[in-house]
Amino acid sequence: MFFNQKTLGGPLLLFEELVITIMKAINLERTISSPFHLIKGKKSGQTIQDVGYYRLHPYFAAMPNLEKRLYDEVIQNLFARQLLRDNDQVIDLTDKALAHAMPASPLNGWKYRGNEAVFLNRLSLVVQTLSYTSQQTNRFDPVHNAEDLQSWVKHYLKKINFRDPASVARFKAEMLESLEAADVEERSKMVLMQRLTGLGWSGMTWEQIALAHDLHILDVQLAAVEALHAWLDVLERNGFPMLSPLLDHVIQRSVLTESTQRTEKLFEKGLSLSEIAAIRQLKTSTIEDHFVELAMNDPFFNFTPFMPPAMYEQIVTVSKKRNTKRLRDIKEELPDATYFQIRLALALREDQP
Amino acid sequence: MKLEEVLFSAYGFSSFRPGQREVIEQVIKGKDVVALLPTGMGKSMCYQLPAHILPGTVLVVSPLLSLMQDQVAQLKKMGEKSVVAINSFLKPQEREKIWQTLGSYRFIFISPEMLVQPFVKKQLEKIHVSLLVADEAHCISQWGFDFRPDYLRIAEILPILKFPQVLALTATATEKVTQEIKTYLKLEEPFIYKHSMDRKNIVYDIKKFDDSRQKLEWLTSFVRGSAGPGIIYAGTRRKSQELAAILMDQGISASYYHGGMEHQDRVFVQQQFQNGELDWVCSTNAFGMGVHISNIRHVVHFQLPTSVEGYVQEVGRAGRDGEAALATLLYAEGDEGLLQSLVMDELPTRHEIQQVASHPAGAEQLVAEGIVRETALRVVAYWLSRLSESETLRQMEFLQREKIKQVDKMKKLVNLQSCIREYIIECFDQHLKGKPENCCVNDGIDYSIFSKRLEKPKKVVLESWQNRLNALLP
Ligand SMILES: Nc1ncnc2c1ncn2[C@@H]1O[C@H](COP(=O)(O)OP(=O)(O)O)[C@@H](O)[C@H]1O
Ligand SMILES: [Mg+2]
Ligand SMILES: [Zn+2]
Repeated sequence: MFFNQKTLGGPLLLFEELVITIMKAINLERTISSPFHLIKGKKSGQTIQDVGYYRLHPYFAAMPNLEKRLYDEVIQNLFARQLLRDNDQVIDLTDKALAHAMPASPLNGWKYRGNEAVFLNRLSLVVQTLSYTSQQTNRFDPVHNAEDLQSWVKHYLKKINFRDPASVARFKAEMLESLEAADVEERSKMVLMQRLTGLGWSGMTWEQIALAHDLHILDVQLAAVEALHAWLDVLERNGFPMLSPLLDHVIQRSVLTESTQRTEKLFEKGLSLSEIAAIRQLKTSTIEDHFVELAMNDPFFNFTPFMPPAMYEQIVTVSKKRNTKRLRDIKEELPDATYFQIRLALALREDQP
Repeated sequence: MKLEEVLFSAYGFSSFRPGQREVIEQVIKGKDVVALLPTGMGKSMCYQLPAHILPGTVLVVSPLLSLMQDQVAQLKKMGEKSVVAINSFLKPQEREKIWQTLGSYRFIFISPEMLVQPFVKKQLEKIHVSLLVADEAHCISQWGFDFRPDYLRIAEILPILKFPQVLALTATATEKVTQEIKTYLKLEEPFIYKHSMDRKNIVYDIKKFDDSRQKLEWLTSFVRGSAGPGIIYAGTRRKSQELAAILMDQGISASYYHGGMEHQDRVFVQQQFQNGELDWVCSTNAFGMGVHISNIRHVVHFQLPTSVEGYVQEVGRAGRDGEAALATLLYAEGDEGLLQSLVMDELPTRHEIQQVASHPAGAEQLVAEGIVRETALRVVAYWLSRLSESETLRQMEFLQREKIKQVDKMKKLVNLQSCIREYIIECFDQHLKGKPENCCVNDGIDYSIFSKRLEKPKKVVLESWQNRLNALLP
């Protein structure tokens, strides 16, 4: 339905390469729709589990608003280009696809899980306000009307003393410096800036941006997320007094102890529990505590490396049936489960997928 | 204090628009009022100003979430802080906060669904509401297209609020609608202000073609030759995108707007248009509400609207600055056929009624499964709670005939030999008091008063993200 749009069939889209990269990891094991669920960030057991099994962390929830219709078009194109071949059951990549070299991705989806939008929404409203007020225009239609967002931004603006031209200058300087340092294509940074609004420069729709860059709409949307993730990485690692507050609660990891965070990093790299204990020269039980902490704080925590889903189900059922969280009571009924497994299962949220 | 002074000190306007003073005076006197004013005339002011004079809170019932948000945004933009909107999208803690300070707000906006909830009623009982406003009150009308069953229940809140005075606002000023507003809001002797539906500065034009290809050719050359800004109503989402693409290909500053777009993109298009960065918007009827641009010079209907009321509403977005504006209705042979099916699509089908009737408990499920449309369910559920299944079917048939009558009125408009302005006014049970110089296609139009398109200097192209940032924060 995009009449002015670039159509598929030219050089591979960045988005198509992304899909192929994911498919390579799950080739012959998962269905055609699983990359879609992964990119959208579906909170189902299967998807979450796959993130862990196949190390697909960067791509999870990279594009929460991805339309099925567009994804399906892309898939049809992959078939047409003989990168995929017919297989009723699963993804079946051709040798051509398997040989295709994939560019590294600056995505960090598992970490941000769509929360980068919170950062962007705040930033949009702050930039718009600074743009208008610094040019003596006090009445304008805010780009966002959500009450909580507006009051957050108002509070923030007051704190940075936004009417002081020096504040505006510092804010801009920090944007320039940090975005400069972001490890992502310049074009992606431009796409992101085109989503911001200022006096005389309203934000542009995805389609307008796509036309301006002669790109497919999926590629500009992908570029924006890539730029955001790369930028957030810079902001997180270096203190930027003006910009850092915009990250408040965007990355919820701060609730974790530092030691647990280090354990998590190693785990995401693919190390096992005992390997982590060895590297960190800590007792296994300490590392187990870390995982329990992770499970408590992370609604997406993937328990499958530690116990099969059936065991998890059993532990939860027994706990419910006997109305107990006491480890020994549960162990009595399920002698096969370790204490660690029971703690982990109980630590998980009720709404665990 | 003089009303003008309040108008200026509270909202910064120096004079009233026609009708505002008449309505506001009666409201302040304590009368119930039904105010029928054309779109864009400033109906909101009829309660915004009294709020600064009457004691207590003004409670505004608003039929659509987007409309409510727009009213709140508008008030905030004018510097009003004491305003809150209560709708089902609030988070529990936000709601809790609101209940605690409910009595302190000058304006409370609420959806009809929320208004009738027992808990909400209890909260409202505790505060002093001096004025109850039913905005877009024609939504009460059972025969209208915008019929909202929940609106009929507004009257339930009256005893709880200890019978505050009522102000009903609408742009749809037919006798039938006025009568229903009176009945359902239990207004015994309201002051009724009926402003002429005639917008003197709007010129009505109709262009007829053999087929839609000719229509399209005419549109592109028209837009190429005219100074904007303008809205082109396209009928369907797909058509709005198609038209925008065609215009852009011609180097015209155009974009499209419809309800299927991502929210942020819609906001961007609206702001670009509002700020003069965009000359033409091709849209479905979703565009318009919340667009406060006074200098729209053109409204073009690429397809026939489904009712004269809808047509007048959309045309009414032009020329709010009082300067001449041109409304052009395009018609190609066979367009009525499309119209008929469009209208039928809006109403619940026989199948939908039967489904809802036989699954009274699982109605939500029917919507989830795509068997019944959400809008259809709302209407069907309302009638089924009052009538039997067969009576409901008959009721829908009746509505259908009403809609076809509306369509027929629209068809008649297209084929009119006489004055279009006069015809439109009569559709609202009013009589025309004199025609302007530039009236309508059947009385002759002087097109020379409308500015030609000037080649604008092309907007600077920003080469890098640093340039863009510099433009945003110079
Ligand atoms: N007295 C006035 N002078 C100037 N502008 C006004 C006045 N009253 C209202 N307006 C403006 O007119 C516009 C349309 O008002 P609104 O209440 O939304 O119209 P309606 O509900 O009748 O369609 C708003 O932007 C409003 O601020
Ligand atoms: Mg209004
Ligand atoms: Zn006439």
